[in-house]
Amino acid sequence: MAIDHTMPVLIVDDYKTMLRIIRNLLKQIGFEDVDEAADGSEALGKMRDKRYGLVISDWNMEPMTGIELLREVRADDKLNRTPFIMVTAESKTENVIAAKKAGVNNYIVKPFNAQTLKAKIDAVFGE
Amino acid sequence: MPARRVDRALTEPFDRVRAYVDAKSASEASFSDVVSLAEITADSMQAFFASIDRSIYRELRDIADYITRMRDEIAALRAGELKSGRIATAGEHLGAIVTATEQATNTIMECAEAMMSAEGEDEATFKAIVNEKVMEIFEACSFQDLTGQRIARVIETLENIEQRVGRFAAAVKTEGDDQAGPETDRERRARELLLHGPQDANVAIAQDDIDALMRG
Repeated sequence: MAIDHTMPVLIVDDYKTMLRIIRNLLKQIGFEDVDEAADGSEALGKMRDKRYGLVISDWNMEPMTGIELLREVRADDKLNRTPFIMVTAESKTENVIAAKKAGVNNYIVKPFNAQTLKAKIDAVFGE
Repeated sequence: MPARRVDRALTEPFDRVRAYVDAKSASEASFSDVVSLAEITADSMQAFFASIDRSIYRELRDIADYITRMRDEIAALRAGELKSGRIATAGEHLGAIVTATEQATNTIMECAEAMMSAEGEDEATFKAIVNEKVMEIFEACSFQDLTGQRIARVIETLENIEQRVGRFAAAVKTEGDDQAGPETDRERRARELLLHGPQDANVAIAQDDIDALMRG
């Protein structure tokens, strides 16, 4: 599946600086249509209003965490096919296993670089 | 009062009464025998109550000593100074660290964004922008020196608190008594949602291992 760089991407993180970093990295990779949400519940609301081609989410957020968002997305018939990448400082094996079980498409541990982000996006879209 | 001492104080008068009655068992009891028995009983009970008084006094004195010792140890904790002085200052340092790192990060990112936006400019303009922004990045990186000093002070405060609490725990003999309290809502949420936060490098799983888990 070829990557459509015009597709809207939703990035979810409670840390504004991280949103800015990911937005800039996505811009460098070629994605221009990038929206932001500060936690899972805000992201879920945006996903129900707009169809996103990719969600990149942090794990540790309040009030709704990234893993809760992922479970909500996978349980929703209209959203469950949305590619979902977890970008997080949660770097324990049990976290990766829980995310995989919940249906995450890829998992990036912070800190990361543009190369890793691009490689994981490519992998999700089979490039 | 120790139980053995109480038992002895109680049994002794009865032993004395029994011995007197045994000695008089062959004859009828006279008025003087009754008076003698009353005297023995009164004398014995006086000893009994005196022993109780001494024992209670000793116990109260032990409790008073313990309270005095605790008061000294609590004073040595200097909780007031910790709360209004060291901990408050450490909190201010941490707040300043967050602000300084945020400011530096924003400055660095603004510089990077400005350089990215300058790509369409002519070569001389582009070079001038890059030079200017690179200098700003160098300046912004000086935050590390200041935050390093602040972090050192916070560490010093934590060590000081650890020392005082350790001494107090030793004084009240609670060292090693590390039973966890009831789980708070926050702790339960963290446990259920696997919120561990950043891990030390020697504990954290590497990206390559994560990739292997995702493939597996």
